[in-house]
Amino acid sequence: MLDVAGLSVELARETESRVILDEVSFSVPERGLIGIVGESGAGKTVLGRALTGWVPEPLRQTAGSVSIDGRVLTTLKPEELRQIRGRTIGYIGSDPGTSFDPTIPIGVQIAQKLRAVVPGTSRDAAKKRVLDLLDQVRIPSAARRFDEYPYQFSGGMLQRAAIVDALVAKPKILICDNITQPLDVTIAAQIVRLLRGLERDLATAIVFFTASIPVAKELIDDLLVLEKGRIIERGGIGAVIAKPVSPHTKRLIDSSPRIWGQNVDVPRPAPAKEAKSEPLLLVADVVKTYRVPDRTRFTGTLDVKAVRGVTLEIRPGENVGLVGESGCGKSTLSRLLSWIEEPDAGRIVFQGKDMASLRGKERLAMRRRFQLLLQDPYNCLPPHLSVARTIRTSLDIHGVKGAEARDKVRAVMHEVGLKDEDAERLPIGMSAGQRQRVNIARALVLEPTLLILDETLSSLDPAEQSRLIDLFERLQVKHGLTYLVISHDLALVRKVCNRVAVMYLGKIVENAGNAQIFDQPSNPYTRALLSAVPVLDKGPFNPAECLVEGEPPSPINVPTGCSFASRCPKAQDLCRTDEPAFTPLGDGRGGVACHFPFV
Amino acid sequence: MTDTTATSLAAAGAAARGASPGARLWRETWRQREFRFGLIVILLLVAASILVPLLTGIDPGKMQIKNKYLPPIFLPGGDWTHILGTDHLGRDLFVRSLIGLQYALGISFTTVLLMFFFGSAVGLISGYFGKVVDALLMRLTDAQLSIPLIILAITLLTVSRPTVPLIIFVLAVSGWPVYARVARGVTLSERNKEYVRAAHILGASHWRIILTMIAPNILPPIAFVAVLDLARMMIFEAILGFMSIGVQPPTPTFGNIIADGRKYLINAWWIATMPGAFLLLALLSINLMGASLERARNKLFSGQI
Repeated sequence: MLDVAGLSVELARETESRVILDEVSFSVPERGLIGIVGESGAGKTVLGRALTGWVPEPLRQTAGSVSIDGRVLTTLKPEELRQIRGRTIGYIGSDPGTSFDPTIPIGVQIAQKLRAVVPGTSRDAAKKRVLDLLDQVRIPSAARRFDEYPYQFSGGMLQRAAIVDALVAKPKILICDNITQPLDVTIAAQIVRLLRGLERDLATAIVFFTASIPVAKELIDDLLVLEKGRIIERGGIGAVIAKPVSPHTKRLIDSSPRIWGQNVDVPRPAPAKEAKSEPLLLVADVVKTYRVPDRTRFTGTLDVKAVRGVTLEIRPGENVGLVGESGCGKSTLSRLLSWIEEPDAGRIVFQGKDMASLRGKERLAMRRRFQLLLQDPYNCLPPHLSVARTIRTSLDIHGVKGAEARDKVRAVMHEVGLKDEDAERLPIGMSAGQRQRVNIARALVLEPTLLILDETLSSLDPAEQSRLIDLFERLQVKHGLTYLVISHDLALVRKVCNRVAVMYLGKIVENAGNAQIFDQPSNPYTRALLSAVPVLDKGPFNPAECLVEGEPPSPINVPTGCSFASRCPKAQDLCRTDEPAFTPLGDGRGGVACHFPFV
Repeated sequence: MTDTTATSLAAAGAAARGASPGARLWRETWRQREFRFGLIVILLLVAASILVPLLTGIDPGKMQIKNKYLPPIFLPGGDWTHILGTDHLGRDLFVRSLIGLQYALGISFTTVLLMFFFGSAVGLISGYFGKVVDALLMRLTDAQLSIPLIILAITLLTVSRPTVPLIIFVLAVSGWPVYARVARGVTLSERNKEYVRAAHILGASHWRIILTMIAPNILPPIAFVAVLDLARMMIFEAILGFMSIGVQPPTPTFGNIIADGRKYLINAWWIATMPGAFLLLALLSINLMGASLERARNKLFSGQI
């Protein structure tokens, strides 16, 4: 039905011209799920848009064609193209936040679109159709949400609304460009399950673009692999994964995260002799509540309970992982630990000293010993300072001056793998990996003992990620560093952390050793989280058994009882009334906060 | 895609690498013809305004009734001793305009500098600290914004003698709130950026963050707007002079030259026109320089140099 023949697209600018797509050919049948997998920069987004006849400047279609039902898109008039978009072909992008008008309620704008694409639809019929679809993508209480604005939707719900928006005019083909990427694993798993159901129920063909082979495996039947604008591999997904023809596909498969099974990388064991020593960082019953204005009333505020009593111990030389979905309070906790915000209650004790008791110079000196590395390598460096100046700033703050500072900057740049000629470069024009190295150097030059990595490696591609993991390991051996890794990337945590704490809605619900957490987790939430991770090998946990539909409750209205009860398959009456306390399991199996843990 | 674009840009900038960003910025600015042109013209004007009265020995206040209404050199009847002609009292317009330019440039430059630094400082502090500090400082700027320049100028400059410092004070006082507003707005968005957070984490004090992290990023764009304000301030200075509450005669200023020439517009149009011509030249060259600097800065921060 959709036919792509020898499609080539070029990026033509004044200064350069580059081939983005190189003779791409494939066809999409009436029904079925086709996956197109490629790394970032392979041309996925350009291809996805070209399928809808959208090749904007400075891109230029140099050869080939895209045709739908035998009609070549480039030969159509704008009105005809508009008819095809929406009615025959639906498109969902990776960022649902920007695909809606923030000033119009979600339901209203989808109904408006339907009436524009299918003239003659009555207002009521349009509304009914939208409500039906909102139900079908399992947005709870659709009738109420119809009149809500985009800002009132969470990321996962907005992505569902975007799917409704694309499906509303009953397109024959749905193009999904990387739609699960910005979502949490549990939500992404729900969306994938939803798409599979839609393909079955609505008889729509789906073209699914993704960077991750495991995600593709969950969903699609046929796989195309895109590398630098060329299709280098095609076939049934099972066959390709079992026997990839091209080396690039093989590399993609090999670099996919592995959590279970053979050849799993596990961290070096923590230094045993220090296991009984005094903890490097002790976090005791830390609480943080933010006050936000209540939008529904003229005055008044709401309490956002971001961190609701976290206790955590980190011993020297031990790598601790802190995992959880977005909104669970990880980032707030990292801000508290790095002392840029003070907790409302509880203590943070670093090397035997309570941070709250330190003032001025003492606190500054202590601060030098623990450093937080931020997530976003693009924004965390001051744009106006050269690499050397950025690193120098750390030393300036702590009063190291002159030749000593210059030598230290040079030394640390070499250590993290930056060259001398990078010294005067500005962050602009540096790759994510290089920027992250500057970021590391800036913290490392202060000779810290504890490094908190807040999603530091998440935004890097797998190759760069593994190079930086090597770097972190080298630095650990050389300087005796301790790492606290805060991440939603479970495969990364599996690889580097000796101990893992799982966080849900501002609390730690399980805290145990690496093997324990990944092979025999006690808390149902840990199982749900692990079941949702897309992996190539079959995981030990089945998502259908581990996770009930739904999203985490809001930290404004924390439910009574166990906060996970609303999504937990094991939940009983007790869970909805009484909050479980964190209890050690004994035998070095860590601890868990659950009334009915797996044992 | 962003990654590959970034690398190709980096390759373009490879030749310039090694020099510090500041040095690269100056090199790129100097490379532009407009910048050099503007610099030369403005230097010539300033030099002329100091040297010409000295070298020619013409006194700007000296009246020669027999030489009144002498046209400029490019009109019939022009005379080389008075290149730009004379006014209704036979005073040399070239020298008078040059001295007027001295005052116009001096007053507007000082005013803009004062407004820029005071306004931006208020805006930075207000936006960075927020809460009570913000509320207080912003009400202060609101109060200031509600007093029109003309009313303030007439009141202050008629009550006490209009000296140069007082004129600068009046202009700056009514101009700074705009800078405070703009600086505050940008600071509000800048202070939540990751790199500012990163500086906090490293242990930087508030003042260090404001001065070394936020200010260098938000002030240059505001400074480019300030260059345009130079023109506005020169015109205000002329308006004050025209209303005879500017620098007082016998000192020639653009304002009082125009005020004198207004009555003779039909017969001797050049009297009121000459100050405008100098104003035009000076502003043109300043704006050319500002624009070149801005272009170079954009190139630097898009990784092209």
